[in-house]
Amino acid sequence: MKHIIIILLAWMSINQAGQGLYACKNANISLFSSAPLEDIAANTQSGTSVFNAATGDLVFSVNITSFKFKKSLMQEHFNSDYLESDKYPKATFKGKIQEHIDVTKNGNYPVTAVGELDIHGVKQNRSIPGMLTVNNGTITMTSEFMVKCVDHHIDIPRIVFHNIAETIKMNVSAVYTAAGK
Amino acid sequence: MKINLKKSLIIAALFASTANVKAQQKSSADSLLNAIDGPAQAERVVIFKSTRLVNSQTTEMIKKQNFNFQIIHRFGDIAGKNGGPQTAFGIDRVNDVYFGFEYGVSDNFNIGLNRSTIGQLIQFELKYAVMHQTSDDSSPLALTLIGEAGVRPYGAYQAFDDRASFLAQAVIARKFSALSLQVSPTFVRDNTPFPLVAGNEQQFFAIQSAARIKISNHSGLLLDYSHPFSNYRSNNPNFQDPIGIGYEVETGGHVFTVNITNSNSISEVNLLSNSQSRFSQGQYRIGFTISRMFDFRPKNKK
Repeated sequence: MKHIIIILLAWMSINQAGQGLYACKNANISLFSSAPLEDIAANTQSGTSVFNAATGDLVFSVNITSFKFKKSLMQEHFNSDYLESDKYPKATFKGKIQEHIDVTKNGNYPVTAVGELDIHGVKQNRSIPGMLTVNNGTITMTSEFMVKCVDHHIDIPRIVFHNIAETIKMNVSAVYTAAGK
Repeated sequence: MKINLKKSLIIAALFASTANVKAQQKSSADSLLNAIDGPAQAERVVIFKSTRLVNSQTTEMIKKQNFNFQIIHRFGDIAGKNGGPQTAFGIDRVNDVYFGFEYGVSDNFNIGLNRSTIGQLIQFELKYAVMHQTSDDSSPLALTLIGEAGVRPYGAYQAFDDRASFLAQAVIARKFSALSLQVSPTFVRDNTPFPLVAGNEQQFFAIQSAARIKISNHSGLLLDYSHPFSNYRSNNPNFQDPIGIGYEVETGGHVFTVNITNSNSISEVNLLSNSQSRFSQGQYRIGFTISRMFDFRPKNKK
């Protein structure tokens, strides 16, 4: 009887410590804005994210230099002039999913993540809607949201104004696997 | 008694394990993210906005499958006997016009072709980036090698060889936050010395140095100074060191530079060989550079 209790206890604690942590190393993040002269589009496959299903904690991080553009000059300007990736190498989101999702049940769950979006070294409190999908232990999260350049002190000079939209559409898609112990 | 001890141990263990889990959960997402995320990668520092300042070329390269087209102008003297309002402060005269094409064979290897009015000089250029400055200072400097071979197809020369000129340059640059500095040891070889005067050397060393001071993310102030190490030029007071000052604006695919310099010519072989204009006599001029970048990478790339 005592042995059973001890074994049960040990199993519970191991199970609890590892429970609910899901990680993604290759989140797909893309940005898009339509402007009169040319569309601005970039994509990265190397965003990282961790989701704690037990607490709802959600963190995202992406290296600014990992965004790939069609035009190499646009990519250079994105890094050196607009996002200043030498000073602010990463964009991050740290927040919490408001809804409690039972990740053992398959389904599509609309969720809202509330937290701090840090781009260009400027933090903004955001409430970002998304969709969480559970399929046999695999969690997928997708979200589409807008980022205003002015909110993150990304200056667009008047002379190139027509080339660049003031609001950028972001698409995020991350497939998580259980992070284990 | 024994049982009680065991029971209390079990209860203590239970508390300990749950407390442990609680503490872990608070920061577990953050720490796990840090574990898989790693530090930001070192990146190449963009030292200059363009491949050319006023009188000197920079360490910057044209990226792979990109094509840069440059038009550079030098007008007539602003003041002095050839300047003033009669020539609209030199705008009426065109002293030198330069058309240049630069193409990125790879990110670190460029080829170029250019043509200048002075001497009708046509030059073929190879440019190779040996190293780039990196953001983590594992490479503190950028080093680019430039080689130019030029020919003057017109004019009376004895042999084809006499039409040829060459330039070799090692361009070394570093960016210190808002200030970019550059120095370029240079070797000039001209089979027919320019100007063709008794005593002028066919070859000499020279140095070009330049600075760019960032004004905003899209504009900067340029300073440019060159000096040939030539006995003939040092002993002849007519020769002046080319000095340039410029303002540069970058607007997406274009870079515009407006400058003032005492140098008449644009191509380095010409301006290092034959700068005889003096600031003190009003012999300085307005010049500009327009460069436009075209990207020929396939569009279907994601």
